Amino acid sequence: MSFAPELRSHSQKVCNFYKRAMRTLEAYHVARYVIRYHQVILRNELDKNKAVCDPKEHRRLLRVAENELFMSQHPIPVAKFARSVGIAGGVAYDRVQVIPDWVMDYWHPLEKAHYPEYFKRRECRKCEYIKKWNDGEIR
Amino acid sequence: MCFNSLFFLFFFMLINFFFLVYFIMNGLSVFFEWENVTFNSMSIVMSILLDWMSLLFMMFVSLISSVVIFYSKSYMNSELNLNRFIILVLMFVFSMVLLIISPNLISILLGWDGLGLISYCLVIYYQNLKSYNAGMLTALSNRIGDVMILMVICWVMNYGSWNYIFYFDFMKNDYVMFIISFMIIIAAMTKSAQIPFSSWLPAAMAAPTPVSALVHSSTLVTAGVYLLIRFNYLLIDMFFFKVLLFLSILTMFMSGISANYEFDLKKIIALSTLSQLGLMMSILSLGFPDIAFFHLLTHSMFKALLFMCAGVIIHMMNDIQDIRYMGGLSLYIPLTSLCLNISNLSLCGIPFLSGFYSKDLILEMVSFNSFNLMVFILFYLSTGLTVFYTFRLIMYVMINDFNLMMIYNLYDEDYIMLNSMFVLLFMSLLSGSFLSWFIFSYPYMIYLPFNLKLMVIYVSILGSILGFMVSNMSIYSLNKLLMSYNLSSFLCLMWFMPNLSTYGLSYIYLNFSQILFKNIDMGWSEIYSGKGIFNILKNYSVFYNVYQMNNFKIYLFSFILYFMILFIFFFI
Repeated sequence: MSFAPELRSHSQKVCNFYKRAMRTLEAYHVARYVIRYHQVILRNELDKNKAVCDPKEHRRLLRVAENELFMSQHPIPVAKFARSVGIAGGVAYDRVQVIPDWVMDYWHPLEKAHYPEYFKRRECRKCEYIKKWNDGEIR
Repeated sequence: MCFNSLFFLFFFMLINFFFLVYFIMNGLSVFFEWENVTFNSMSIVMSILLDWMSLLFMMFVSLISSVVIFYSKSYMNSELNLNRFIILVLMFVFSMVLLIISPNLISILLGWDGLGLISYCLVIYYQNLKSYNAGMLTALSNRIGDVMILMVICWVMNYGSWNYIFYFDFMKNDYVMFIISFMIIIAAMTKSAQIPFSSWLPAAMAAPTPVSALVHSSTLVTAGVYLLIRFNYLLIDMFFFKVLLFLSILTMFMSGISANYEFDLKKIIALSTLSQLGLMMSILSLGFPDIAFFHLLTHSMFKALLFMCAGVIIHMMNDIQDIRYMGGLSLYIPLTSLCLNISNLSLCGIPFLSGFYSKDLILEMVSFNSFNLMVFILFYLSTGLTVFYTFRLIMYVMINDFNLMMIYNLYDEDYIMLNSMFVLLFMSLLSGSFLSWFIFSYPYMIYLPFNLKLMVIYVSILGSILGFMVSNMSIYSLNKLLMSYNLSSFLCLMWFMPNLSTYGLSYIYLNFSQILFKNIDMGWSEIYSGKGIFNILKNYSVFYNVYQMNNFKIYLFSFILYFMILFIFFFI
């Protein structure tokens, strides 16, 4: 969670940092073997400090690494899935808005009068739904 | 709906073509005037000007829009509200035609405002946050131009009518014309996205691809150039044209550099459109409106084709627009890559494609006339940058290895999209030579030294070599050379101008308005009206409520008070 860093453990923060660093490498290099080469070098750098036990040293290393990542971030981050949100997200996120059903309850009666059969059926469905909910058939 | 509008627009294009040929052969120009109301000396008339320029532009606009509507039948197949989309596009075309045929500032305003508002509706068509922000940026930037045109209308009222074409000869050195020309140039700069209004064009790529193909490559952005071509006779000796030259050359250069650092396919094409618009504006401000018009038309053909190819690629890559995930597509989509290659090479000015005729003519005129050295250098540098980012794009998209996933099935068998692209392919191959025979009744006589004549070729070869070197996928590749964070973010984020013109302009005022809102709207004005009065009245009524509680002490007290009053009145 980005809003409460004190609730995350050190290993969680390191894993998050590692993922972001990998994504930055994917942004800079394009060919797969080039990306793998630089990722192996990065992994080696992290593995050099694998056996450190001092929490103060942990925090110092993480701070230095985060600073280096910030200074070398790519101005145009890469996004693999266009419809996802977050690091993997891209241009097509949230393109199609689903209008909730309760909006139709707020239609003006004159507007509803254009589709009488539909709204009659809708009222029946609503009553059935409420009855089923009260009986515990649906949760 | 798609087929009906396609046939209507295609038929309209054919009518325009026949009239164009007839008008050019006979040197005709028709001015319709329809008198609505006349009362004493005031008259309201609606006028239409049909000369070769307006007929030619209408022909191109209707051809591109008919092809784009046909294309969007397949591209926007999964849309529930396709009819809404087609109606918006048709309204856009109608506004553009109104702008083209009007010699009258009021009908120009109708077309101009229509273009701005409908392009806003089209940009926010996909309803995500990014599109909303992009639409707001587009609408507000265009609105500045609308305000300028409104002010021009006010100033032109000094002359008694809004038909500006009548006043060029007589009022050229007038102070009023000086102000009008300044405002017209600002309006054209906002529409054609010159510096400092250039932030909306790459952001508007949040729109669907058919919208980008029609609106952001051929029609909306060329409206500013067209307005300046119409007003060119007035503006030619003005100082502001030199300022426009400076700004348009900088736009051309800036967008050429930014396109080299950009990785979003549609943004690269948007920045190349921006670069070509800078080219059109700069050659216009150097005093060659017919060459600017020529380049406007040829550019609209191959740029619309380029956007449509980009749309096919985006569809195929499952909506991903990042060129880092594309590669080797020429093996899988040969016909689309044919169209992509031809439009790219036309953009670079490769000999005898359509872009060559206009671009080469522009560069030769710049070399032939004795302009500033900076103008000369920036023109050729921007041409080289055009070739650079074009070849980089071709390498990333077509030649390098495919980079998205292990197993893939890429195909472009959608015949609707292919047929619409082939129409534009045919036009982008032939429109250069066709237009050069139509527009120029006699050729320009240009005498240049041998090396200066070949300067375009040298610059193109250098640009293509650099484009090839930068997109080589080796472990220690050249593109890390200029990738120091400060320099690369400066160059790829358009010299930070979008940030300056959005956050930079609004941050102080938004902060100040927050202070005002919290202190005054929700603070003092609530105490002295609204909630404060409500509290006073409520407290009073709570207080007086005591007297309605049937409190015996109150009755006793009022009894005593009554006797005291009686005592005072009768005995004192």
